[in-house]
Amino acid sequence: MEMEPILEVRHLSKTFGTNPVLKDINFNICRGDVISVIGPSGSGKSTLLRCINLLETPTSGTILFRGKDITGLGNEVFAYRAKVGMVFQSFNLFDNLSVIDNCTLGQIRVLHRSREEAQEYARQILSLVGMAPYCNAKPRQLSGGQKQRVAIARAMALDPEVILFDEPTSALDPELVGEVLDVMRELAEQGMTMAVVTHEMAFARQVSSRVVFMDEGVIMEEGDPEELFTDPRNERTREFLGRYLNQ
Amino acid sequence: MGKFSQLIQDVIRLCAKYLPMYLSGMKNTVLLALIGTVLGCIIGFICGVLNAIPYDTNAPLGRRVLIRTLRAVIRGYVEVFRGTPMVLQAVFIYYALPYFTDGAARFSSVWAASILVVSINTGAYMTESVRGGIISVDPGQVEGAMAIGLTHIQAMMYVILPQAVRNILPQIGNNYIINLKDTSVMFMISFTDFFAVHRGVVGATYSYFPSAVIEMIGYLTMTLISSFLLRKVEQRMEGSSSFELVVSDPLTLTSGVYRHPVSEELFKERSRDYKGKD
Ligand SMILES: Nc1ncnc2c1ncn2[C@@H]1O[C@H](COP(=O)(O)OP(=O)(O)OP(=O)(O)O)[C@@H](O)[C@H]1O
Ligand SMILES: [Mg+2]
Repeated sequence: MEMEPILEVRHLSKTFGTNPVLKDINFNICRGDVISVIGPSGSGKSTLLRCINLLETPTSGTILFRGKDITGLGNEVFAYRAKVGMVFQSFNLFDNLSVIDNCTLGQIRVLHRSREEAQEYARQILSLVGMAPYCNAKPRQLSGGQKQRVAIARAMALDPEVILFDEPTSALDPELVGEVLDVMRELAEQGMTMAVVTHEMAFARQVSSRVVFMDEGVIMEEGDPEELFTDPRNERTREFLGRYLNQ
Repeated sequence: MGKFSQLIQDVIRLCAKYLPMYLSGMKNTVLLALIGTVLGCIIGFICGVLNAIPYDTNAPLGRRVLIRTLRAVIRGYVEVFRGTPMVLQAVFIYYALPYFTDGAARFSSVWAASILVVSINTGAYMTESVRGGIISVDPGQVEGAMAIGLTHIQAMMYVILPQAVRNILPQIGNNYIINLKDTSVMFMISFTDFFAVHRGVVGATYSYFPSAVIEMIGYLTMTLISSFLLRKVEQRMEGSSSFELVVSDPLTLTSGVYRHPVSEELFKERSRDYKGKD
């Protein structure tokens, strides 16, 4: 397995007002990694992802992207964000744009691809997630699962080095979860580097190469999914997983 | 019934004599309302967008001070022009210039003064509308835009404003209709709009009521036509509620083999030439 780190998070802390949400977080994302981040609600999982692509400004610590600190970036932050894709729980598609335009906007405006090139590429990516027939639809005409697949395509269209997923299936009806997880599984198999905050324990266990368990702003345990799920070393992990495994 | 036929005769008599004046008054009213609304919208969009520049507590001090000042100035502008009658704003602005310059400078045309007043007034209302329109766009979409690397300005242009415009279109129309009516106060600075014609006509004929009837009909005609047109525009902005599935496999479009042998163009999925792999 290659161990070329794409992202290195060093002593990352984030405080909202007086509320410390992330405390001295350290971890790496390497090429080809599929990292599942699990943990109870409010433990700071979303905040961690949002700090990584600078939707939140870290209070302290550094984040190295290919060895370069990105916390003090000026205008390069926009190009950086394009390299780190993000898929949100609530899709966050652009309601005024058709499916294909959602996937070309960033290509054209951030990567400066030509419109034709962007559209052709968007079509390829959309067919990868099974959404090509819906090119001309508007987001409001799609089901939740379809929206999320478009959101994944929108992120992929920018050829990101890593995609961050924040509970991509939590807002979906149970019967729609599968289609999104299938797409993500497919991506993982193709070698896409991913960090996924999820409550889908089966996905975390089967698909990821590493699982990170977070609680109260701290990474409590990190390791191989099989080990972590069958024999967690940390007491809190055991407690948390117990709840899930007993369901 | 006698009174009604009398009224009809009076109205006809006034029209026979003054119709060109009434019509030119209507033309001035429509023009002033239109120009004022358009310029007001521009002012409103500029102020509304400036107002929406995010205030980042981590930004450099100079930038923070600038944003704060900008917001305060816009706030003040909106409050002053929303909080005073337009008729007063008209005389205030019209007479301020000669007062401060001891008569050396004055508005060379009442058109300029009137357009200025109506635009500034409409701008104040539109600033608030635009602000509301921007706020009403789902903040998640702003995040979505940030996440793909768009700048604040790009997010505004391609994602937020198109939706904000749609949201506030009814208010733009509303402002236009209000302006059609409220520009009637511009007679105070001698602007010859539709209502000023009424004042002129009754001064000469003392036919207060028949002229008022003409005015009522005239204003209603202008506003009803405007409402009708605005609704058409809104319907058009609504767009179609359905979409067509693209049935071919788009991957087949990418290899280059599928270019038209003559035109060298990519086959459109729906073009006659395209033979999808069935
Ligand atoms: N913008 C903010 N301002 C203040 N507090 C915030 C903000 N965003 C998050 N928090 C707080 O940070 C803590 C962690 O939130 P976060 O969303 O990262 O948790 P999470 O692990 O993603 O939880 P969930 O599983 O419910 O999504 C919470 O206590 C939350 O209230
Ligand atoms: Mg969360």
